[in-house]
Amino acid sequence: MKEVLAVIRMNQIGRTKQALVDAGFPGFNAVKVTGRGRQAIEAEAVEALNQNPEYATEVLPLLGRIPRLIPKRLLSIVVSDEQVEPVVTTLIRTNQTRNPGDGKIFVLPVTETVRVRTGETGRVALDEMTG
Amino acid sequence: MTNIMLRAIVRPEKTPDVLQALLDAGYPAVTKIDVFGRGKQRGLKIGNVVYDELPKELLILVIDERHKNAVIGIILDAARTGTEGAYGDGKVFVSPVEEVYTISTGVKEAADVKTTVTV
Repeated sequence: MKEVLAVIRMNQIGRTKQALVDAGFPGFNAVKVTGRGRQAIEAEAVEALNQNPEYATEVLPLLGRIPRLIPKRLLSIVVSDEQVEPVVTTLIRTNQTRNPGDGKIFVLPVTETVRVRTGETGRVALDEMTG
Repeated sequence: MTNIMLRAIVRPEKTPDVLQALLDAGYPAVTKIDVFGRGKQRGLKIGNVVYDELPKELLILVIDERHKNAVIGIILDAARTGTEGAYGDGKVFVSPVEEVYTISTGVKEAADVKTTVTV
């Protein structure tokens, strides 16, 4: 079992959700985060502001205080080992604009999954689409 | 090259110091999440009121394993209260990262030889 953690652009979440469902991965968690990468671009923050003016209260103070913390979405998808590659490919295909700031994908090992409703563990606890 | 993920839970007021220290030391890439939690002190008790969920900030960094001690040192120095430290200063957790991809280029970063993922 692996956890795929992906940091993506705020405005890509809708497309990504659809693409993941189409690829057979309906279950995931998403969190609003702020972050910065290795590239120092203020322009990115400005662009984010233009596209999501509703986050102005969040972004503007950050611009002055800490340079370059940009709103992003962090997706967490837990899948079985052999499904890592299709998930990663789907995420890259959906989110790639070839500009810096598209985000990163990290793959981490997961040792156990438990479904709270039933107490099932292991593979059966993962959300796998059938048919 | 092995990558590791550091998840640091720090005081919100210490976050700017930690971020600046990391930037100065050449580790600019960070993701920040506002979180609530408690530690082994079971939150804060002021009079009869128990604050069970204290606001903290979670910083996520993925770095080369060789830089682990240096980066953890930077975080600890910047996030510690005073010189002695205090309860509630936070924790740093380390987990292995098996693969890293940059979406804009489609490049898998973890391998020694960079390979492009065809999509």
